[in-house]
Amino acid sequence: MSDKKENLVSCVVNGKSVTVSKNTSIIKAFKAAGEDIAHYCYHPGLSVAGCCRLCMVEIEGNPRTQIACNTMVAEGMKITNQSEKIKEDVQWGLDFHLLNHPLDCPICDQAGECGLQEQYMKFGQYEPEMNQNKVKKNKVVSLGEKIVLDTERCILCSRCVRFTDEVSKTHELGIFNRGDRSEVGTFNGKELNNDYALNTVDICPVGALTSKDFRFKQRVWYLKRAEAICTGCSTGCSIYLDYNDEGFFRVMPKPNENNNSYWMCDEGRDLYQHLNPKKRLVQVCPSQSINASSSEEAVQGLKTTLENITDKTKVGVLVTGQYSVEDYQAFFSSIKEKTSIEKVYHWFDQKNSENDFDDLLIRGDKNPNTKGLLSVTKDLSLNLVDSLELKNTASHLDVLIVLGPEYNKFFSTLDEKIAMFKKAGQVFYFSSVKLEALDALSNVTQIPLPSLVERGGTYINYKGLEQKVAILPKVISGILNFSEIAKVLRGEKVQLEPVFLKTQKVKDNQFNFQKK
Amino acid sequence: MEVKILTQHYDKPEYQSLEGYKKYEGYQQLKKALTLKPEAITEMVKQAGLRGRGGAGFPAGVKWGFLPNNGKKRYLICNADEGEPGTFKDRAMMDRAPHQLIEGMIISAFAINSPKSYIYIRGEYFESKRIVEKAIKEAYAANLLGDNILGSGFSHHMDIYSGAGAYICGEETGLISSLEGKKGQPKLKPPFPAIEGYLAHPTIVNNVETLAAVTIIIRDGVEGYRKYGTEKSPGTKLFSVSGNVVKPGNYEIPLGTPLKDVIFNLCGGLKQGRKLKAVIPGGSSAPVLNEEEAMSVNMDYEDLADKGSMLGSGAIIVIDDSNSMVELLQVLMHFYHHESCGQCTPCREGTGWLSKLSNSILEGSASLNDVKLLEKVANHMKGKTICALSDAAAFPVLSFVSKFKEEFISAATANVALQFQSKNGQSYKRG
Repeated sequence: MSDKKENLVSCVVNGKSVTVSKNTSIIKAFKAAGEDIAHYCYHPGLSVAGCCRLCMVEIEGNPRTQIACNTMVAEGMKITNQSEKIKEDVQWGLDFHLLNHPLDCPICDQAGECGLQEQYMKFGQYEPEMNQNKVKKNKVVSLGEKIVLDTERCILCSRCVRFTDEVSKTHELGIFNRGDRSEVGTFNGKELNNDYALNTVDICPVGALTSKDFRFKQRVWYLKRAEAICTGCSTGCSIYLDYNDEGFFRVMPKPNENNNSYWMCDEGRDLYQHLNPKKRLVQVCPSQSINASSSEEAVQGLKTTLENITDKTKVGVLVTGQYSVEDYQAFFSSIKEKTSIEKVYHWFDQKNSENDFDDLLIRGDKNPNTKGLLSVTKDLSLNLVDSLELKNTASHLDVLIVLGPEYNKFFSTLDEKIAMFKKAGQVFYFSSVKLEALDALSNVTQIPLPSLVERGGTYINYKGLEQKVAILPKVISGILNFSEIAKVLRGEKVQLEPVFLKTQKVKDNQFNFQKK
Repeated sequence: MEVKILTQHYDKPEYQSLEGYKKYEGYQQLKKALTLKPEAITEMVKQAGLRGRGGAGFPAGVKWGFLPNNGKKRYLICNADEGEPGTFKDRAMMDRAPHQLIEGMIISAFAINSPKSYIYIRGEYFESKRIVEKAIKEAYAANLLGDNILGSGFSHHMDIYSGAGAYICGEETGLISSLEGKKGQPKLKPPFPAIEGYLAHPTIVNNVETLAAVTIIIRDGVEGYRKYGTEKSPGTKLFSVSGNVVKPGNYEIPLGTPLKDVIFNLCGGLKQGRKLKAVIPGGSSAPVLNEEEAMSVNMDYEDLADKGSMLGSGAIIVIDDSNSMVELLQVLMHFYHHESCGQCTPCREGTGWLSKLSNSILEGSASLNDVKLLEKVANHMKGKTICALSDAAAFPVLSFVSKFKEEFISAATANVALQFQSKNGQSYKRG
């Protein structure tokens, strides 16, 4: 901690000494000490509501138990939540929460990552004494295009309401009615469709808010979790990708204080779809002049084409800022070995200005690694120019090599670019996602690339933050990553790894079924 | 025994108007107060030992002393959201002597240097609202409110704001939320309203009776005010007596008067020579007293606390032996279940549970365990929530069940509804 000494206080949490900065709440001190504390309404990214009454602690010298989220630590404070009194309080707190909860875990999508289940296993495990009828409330309430609400499961922690008030500042949600008839809902006529709405699903500690996209697709205990970054814009939010051997299923924000805090935008959550075979470019689409059946052959075709061109000014390279620093290094160096490229056309989505920002996370630059591209081209003394120039020069080019967008939903200028491809001699289009409009062009060879998480690498976001993406096994067979492409261009042999997805065809059908 | 200080002129209809109020030294205390130093008035209120008349009994002068000197605009709010079951004293004060309240408020505002005050009045008090509104207009017309009051250089503006009938808005932070235009839900403390209240400004919330009593303190001085009442509970207080007495109504008596005298002398005793069974001494939230306790208790903050109850808002509910305690508790639990704001889990779920349990005990569909459970639930509701509503629901349960256990046990095992036929023949099954 870089704080000055006078800004620090030491306290004792469950017998462990811990030093935190002044004005830290007890619940944060518990987390700093690594001590377990039950809570539902408290969320580090939101204001304190203090309404679930579960984070009760005993402070030495204070006869009344206090809530840890709204009580600040003081020098020398001795705090515990291990006393019998607190254990009983927490157990009763849980009992109150479960009193009118439907306990429909077997059919609830939250099961496995539900706060009620977790705390019950940690602090509860009692025999319920409630033998009265439960309060009936609304179920399967659609809150808009993305979210479904079950008000019976809701424990009224108000996290979602505070999120729309404090973070998205869109104010769609409120708690209506009083007492145990209280229900979360949207204000008259409003729908919960803001750009960040799905964060409410993440922070909902129970199965009250569920995502229409994810619900009923997978049981969460069958999912593995990988860390990555979102490539939807230059913010590059830290994310978790939930996947198993049936494919990728969900994107959730990974807390990152230096970047996206606890949130991400809803658009970025579609990222997982671009990793699954359905949206992917799964095999080489040969062109008139390059009749290749595998990626390797197609790249060899590129190698031959480059070697045969005498006028090196007739070779153009068009790149998006969607690839990692390592990708660019491997790609540009191998191309440079083959031909002298003077200009690199920078494909930047012109619809949005680079500096657009919604004051939360979404940025106008829809490329996660514009900074990385700039630095790599600078290091390799390449001249990066705006792709608009291509309008005039495309017809002079014999060969155009393209690193296409991975996330083409955000690229509004696709049509314009496709029109330019028509003018060029031969186009080698590398991308991990399928762009159907290209199939009609006879001069374009489409070569599949591994996706973001199959390639891995470093991405540099808008403010220069370097973030690494770990490499996951490949989903599609026979595809080459950039270092393998470089090898082929140099005439070396490559050994391809086996894919990890199970029976792919069946799974694709399953996706179709779920989409209905 | 009755000492009419606040209520001295309540029998005179003209006292409602400014003209009539002035006939009886009206606004003389304001003139006097405006010549004093604000700190001196706060000190007088402190010395006089005036305790909050709304329920909590917190010393008013001490509360005023909590205001920070941060240069922020200060607000004074009069809590006229009289919702505690059994209480009807503030209504009488506003109906009979609205100017007494307004004068007290201007003096208090002067003492705490507040340029703006609100009277937050209970939604159902249409008539009182009309009366107070008219009185405010009269006061503005006579330069008793507005800019440069009576040439003193002190300016103060006053507005009346009507609640929508929620009990919880009588809790001071719930009231502030409601006044701010939000859902009437209590706020987390700290920060307390004196530090960050209405619109995050330093705010003092006082009960109608407390503010009206400030005028009396200015008139009679500290010594004069302390002439009545006890050392720790000085002054007189209005008590709303209801239930099975011959003459129910509002009575102003010095604090420390024996409850026995209030019931049997002032209120003419019980109807038709019935026997006293229990008394709720301070509004429905106060723990009930059994006959023995009721006959020996003095009506002041300390003695009631000693007997395990509280003075609360001063609503005395007298219960004779024709009542079923089980039925009474069921009515109370229905009330708290209906009025819980739903913010804190123990209260939101607990009040509903208590209501269901007391229902089934009354219906005779409960077991002995349900009586125990009633106490268990109540025990785990008290002291666990943001405001005191959870406590207010738990206290009656604990006192009712412990003091009248036999009745609850026999009700849990037999259908008590047959023994105590409801007067209007209504079903006991409530929502």
